Amino acid sequence: MQLTPDILKIDLEETKQKIARFIEDYVAKTKAEGIVLGMSGGIDSSTNAALNALAIGGNKTYGLLMPEKETENKIDINHAKQVARQFKIRTTLIDITKILDSLYETIPDFEPSNLKAKGNLKARTRMVLLYYYANSRDLIVAGSSDKSESMIGYYTKFGDIAADITPQQDLYKTQVRQLAKYIGIAEAIIRKPSTPALWPGQTAEEEIGTSYEKLDLVLYGFEHFMETSRIAEQLLLPIKTVESIKRRWLNAEHKRRMPLTPKLAFRTVGKDFRLPYDNV
Amino acid sequence: MADQIKVALAQISCKVGDKAHNIHKMARYIAKARKENVELIIFPELSLTGYTMRDMAYELAESIPGPSTKKMEKLARQNNIYVIYGMVEKTLGTGAVLHNTAVFTSPRGTIGRYRKTYLPTHSIFEEKRYFRQGHEIPVYSTDIGKIGIVICYDIFFPETARLLRLKGAELIACISASPAIRRNYFETLTIARALENTVYLAYVNLAGIEDGLQFWGGSRLTTPNGKIAVQAKYDDEDLACALIDYKDLERIETFIPTLRDLRPELFTELEKLAKEL
Repeated sequence: MQLTPDILKIDLEETKQKIARFIEDYVAKTKAEGIVLGMSGGIDSSTNAALNALAIGGNKTYGLLMPEKETENKIDINHAKQVARQFKIRTTLIDITKILDSLYETIPDFEPSNLKAKGNLKARTRMVLLYYYANSRDLIVAGSSDKSESMIGYYTKFGDIAADITPQQDLYKTQVRQLAKYIGIAEAIIRKPSTPALWPGQTAEEEIGTSYEKLDLVLYGFEHFMETSRIAEQLLLPIKTVESIKRRWLNAEHKRRMPLTPKLAFRTVGKDFRLPYDNV
Repeated sequence: MADQIKVALAQISCKVGDKAHNIHKMARYIAKARKENVELIIFPELSLTGYTMRDMAYELAESIPGPSTKKMEKLARQNNIYVIYGMVEKTLGTGAVLHNTAVFTSPRGTIGRYRKTYLPTHSIFEEKRYFRQGHEIPVYSTDIGKIGIVICYDIFFPETARLLRLKGAELIACISASPAIRRNYFETLTIARALENTVYLAYVNLAGIEDGLQFWGGSRLTTPNGKIAVQAKYDDEDLACALIDYKDLERIETFIPTLRDLRPELFTELEKLAKEL
């Protein structure tokens, strides 16, 4: 197998249809009133919002715009609003600054210089609001995580990853970009650097240490059982870079699974209770 | 025995774990098929329970005969139709030995059952966790032809269809629960198995979504010369009917003489190498 960009090309119409059917089916089976999702103006959340609106209609898709003062960016907010207009999605803007300030003040030993701990509060606050709306309006939370970030754990545990369904989680970032373009997301949204916006100036590719074009091919190699050395050789990457990506992938399993529990009894939640989602 | 029969590929979606719902749906399809003068209706793999039942398999399993086979027999009798469907079979006299089984029912009662030989346990499939593999690959001589059954992943192994053909099968029913990314495999293999054995092959897949898995439908009747006589819709439920003319077998066997050209000595070597793998 040769790791070339072509290998990540997907049948866009088929992918769109499959995701739409998946969303429609889940909403129907759960008898929910619709979908609620966060809209940051970035590519993942914009594509997620559009896909959900295409599946069940914009009038059943609720977008929450949740800026906060430190990372607030007018361009991003405008992008989110633009997507909402384009796909006729109903939106609510909630400035979460006050909630965060309250958390910072309330936590006795709050440490503002710990960017990770502070930044994750932002992602988790957004999750709290999404689930408030889900509960109060009988909606399903649709997360916008993609496969690249899910594999390397580049998200906040119980934060932006928290959702009932993640329609595009089996698409690498560069595949989300292809799909975004196909369904009509504006080039400006597709091209701008991805950021989790946990602190000012944070960009995903800088933090991950490689471009998504390279990262996706490395991860595709792992997905297809390729050896680290072969991936590095084919992509002309230092072996240490590929090994570091592999470590990130393996070390993030705790973020993807149910919490680990000691096996003490006959059948154990998260281990050998294996039940279907679709239940009578 | 009939020279010609009309067959219906009943591509349904199932409600996981709800046998009453699924039997009710099968009843509707049977009635619809009967109006089309269908003599044999075929439902997908595990059509009684849905495919992704996981640990619920233990409570959904039934023996044969059992309450569900009796209900299906009644439907076959009332509609004067042959029915092939899938269920979780609990073997008689054991506590929890289960099989992924296809049941073949005639208007006069159940003719037999086929227990899946090859149980996929890779990727999203976990069948060996629940099921024991079957050890018999029978052909049933009926009023509507000599019919054999395989289940889904069995079709990846040419020996299953070949064995049925050598036992005299004129029609092979392949009941399936194949998720969308595997469509190409089955579209290739259904033609290959029909052609290499010069046999009719009725492939019936599940439709709809279970546990996020999208079953692609696309059920089809392939003729002994590898043509698609009829194909059901992709993804959605459908009932596709077609005529099978057994007299075509002799004509096609003459043109594609794979059975005449079989080399038995190769099977001995195959057996040896498969054991050493």
